[in-house]
Amino acid sequence: MRKMKWRFMFSMVFVLIFSLAACNSSTNTSGDNDQKGDDNKSEEVGTVNIGYTGPLSGPAAFYGERTLNGVKMAADEVNAAGGFEVNGKKYKLNIVSLDDKYLPNEAGANAKRLVQENKPPIIFTPHSGGIFALQVFNQLDKFIIGAYSSEPQITEVGNKLTIRIPPRYDGYLQPFTEYAMENFGKNVAFLPTASQYGKDWGAKLKTYWEKEGGKVVYDSAIDFSKETDFFTILTNALKEKPDVLFIGGASEPTAKVAKQARELGFKGGFIVMDQAKFDEMKAVTGSYDLLNGSIGVMPLVDSQEAAIPDFVKRYQEKYNETPGSEAGLNYIGMHVFVEAMKAAGSVDDVEKIRANMQAGLDNLAADKKIYAVDKIGEDGGFEFDLSVAAVENGKIVPIKVD
Amino acid sequence: MEILIQQLFNGMTIGSVYSLVALGLTLVYGILHIPNFAHGALYMMGGYITLTMMTKYGLHYWLAIFVSILVVGVIGVLMERFVFHPLREAPPIHDKIAAIGILLFLEAFAQFVWGAEFQSMPTPYGQVVQIFGLTFTMQRLLIVISAIVVMILLTLFLKKTFTGSTIIAMSQNREGANLVGINTNRVAMLTFMISGGLAAIAASLSAPINLVFPAMGQLVILKAFVIIILGGMGSVPGAILGGYILGFSESLGATYISNDYKDIIAFVLLVLILSVKPTGLFSKGGH
Repeated sequence: MRKMKWRFMFSMVFVLIFSLAACNSSTNTSGDNDQKGDDNKSEEVGTVNIGYTGPLSGPAAFYGERTLNGVKMAADEVNAAGGFEVNGKKYKLNIVSLDDKYLPNEAGANAKRLVQENKPPIIFTPHSGGIFALQVFNQLDKFIIGAYSSEPQITEVGNKLTIRIPPRYDGYLQPFTEYAMENFGKNVAFLPTASQYGKDWGAKLKTYWEKEGGKVVYDSAIDFSKETDFFTILTNALKEKPDVLFIGGASEPTAKVAKQARELGFKGGFIVMDQAKFDEMKAVTGSYDLLNGSIGVMPLVDSQEAAIPDFVKRYQEKYNETPGSEAGLNYIGMHVFVEAMKAAGSVDDVEKIRANMQAGLDNLAADKKIYAVDKIGEDGGFEFDLSVAAVENGKIVPIKVD
Repeated sequence: MEILIQQLFNGMTIGSVYSLVALGLTLVYGILHIPNFAHGALYMMGGYITLTMMTKYGLHYWLAIFVSILVVGVIGVLMERFVFHPLREAPPIHDKIAAIGILLFLEAFAQFVWGAEFQSMPTPYGQVVQIFGLTFTMQRLLIVISAIVVMILLTLFLKKTFTGSTIIAMSQNREGANLVGINTNRVAMLTFMISGGLAAIAASLSAPINLVFPAMGQLVILKAFVIIILGGMGSVPGAILGGYILGFSESLGATYISNDYKDIIAFVLLVLILSVKPTGLFSKGGH
């Protein structure tokens, strides 16, 4: 038995070695990109490297790809328009992406490598763990974090070079709670994803829910990377007769949870964590009918902004799927960074770029404006008009937030 | 009471899937004498192939499963021929490295071909059945019934047919089997074929209640390892019983102890069983 264990340990070490080897190959490809960048330089066009570290393999790969697609699409648009001009010199963007498998330590190592090899002024990363890891050294190594996470804490730690792109999730607590309490009742069961993010979200919602006089009748979490079936946990949650279920995580498994809850006879409403999107959930459930009584964030495609239909069309042509906010927010983020670099008159002075983010937002072209965001806070977070939606009678209905 | 019965049914559903996966793993253990790390990847391939057959070629669910069994079975055979057979004289660590290599290859392959996103497998058996306040879905009943049928067929095959006995003979003693005139190459290929087929059945049955994605094999493979250790390495009844023990302990543990600790409950059970019977419930040789 002991021998077996050692053998297993050995095997795991080999898994690690293999994964590292996989990392190597991805750097090679980015090396090729650099070559191209250097070629451009000889034609009097500069190259600005933009770093990206996110999950590009493993269970969260689809999420990493969608965020990267947004950044890439914006960069391609800028390059297709002949680049952008800073202080009389033309620059093109070159996205250097590395895989971190959703791990904070890998994200940190990737960022270090990017700094040494590519000197990017901005590194995008789409998970709070990675953002915290990068915040340890980003002010020292001089790069801005393009932070895609609605975790409020990332902008509360006082890091001067962090830009939080999505709206912070605690803004949703009030509208979600109000809607669910008004329409269904005061007993809620918690079944969010078992990630740190899901737990923090749950803790905040629990405090707010109880402050409003509600009761949490069941409090647990679902680990989507370990659970094959949700019937067991749902049976236990529904035993407590909740009026509302708080669910969330990646859209597709979250949709499965909602579907199985309905199969078990649950008639109440759902509070859907901002990580999951209604339109992506619909792809699994087949129609919105199953999600009637849900409250969550407005899907990008159903949003009212004027630039949306055209953006959706362009994205579909390029990637053959409907864009969600993962792609959309990173897309707008990349464009704002470009405008900020223009306004700052520099592509490498990161403090100056940070100081000009507001100007970047002001100068954003109308056809890029797929979100109503006009202001960046002192803390480095984009300030949004929150866009909340409910599902009623099989349709997405916008909900006003005051 | 209703909750108890509902949870027993839930445990039975999930236990059936675990058992099917563990059966394939335990059979191949008889040939390789190491746990086949790539088995989870075969499970994942099974899910994808059934899904592709249904969505792209419009095949009926059962027909798609049949194709999937064949294809994954052949992948298993190819694995044996090109990887494990040449390594049969090598130290066991080589087999393990090779198995992990296959696992990584197949996962990357699936992500390359089908993309990284979650996909949903439609099922013609989505109906909800309510009996005495208990909720079943047709798909779940199907999982339980099909798993039991497959297990009975497999046991009959291994016990009552000549070809089946050769598999057991070879797992007991490869050289001995060779001496009495069993074609060990053929048996090894056959075993991999059955193992792949079982993985495909398990994935195709359980995919409609979850999702299809490149890492889906990891949901079950770790548990399958636990099961075959618990049931006794290489033992067929051990894999079946172990699967159900794990399934029931998860669902009942989540209900009556704590959902957050249900994995611990399963592992405490493993520790207890192994301290009483260190070789597992059905030690080797007791096929």
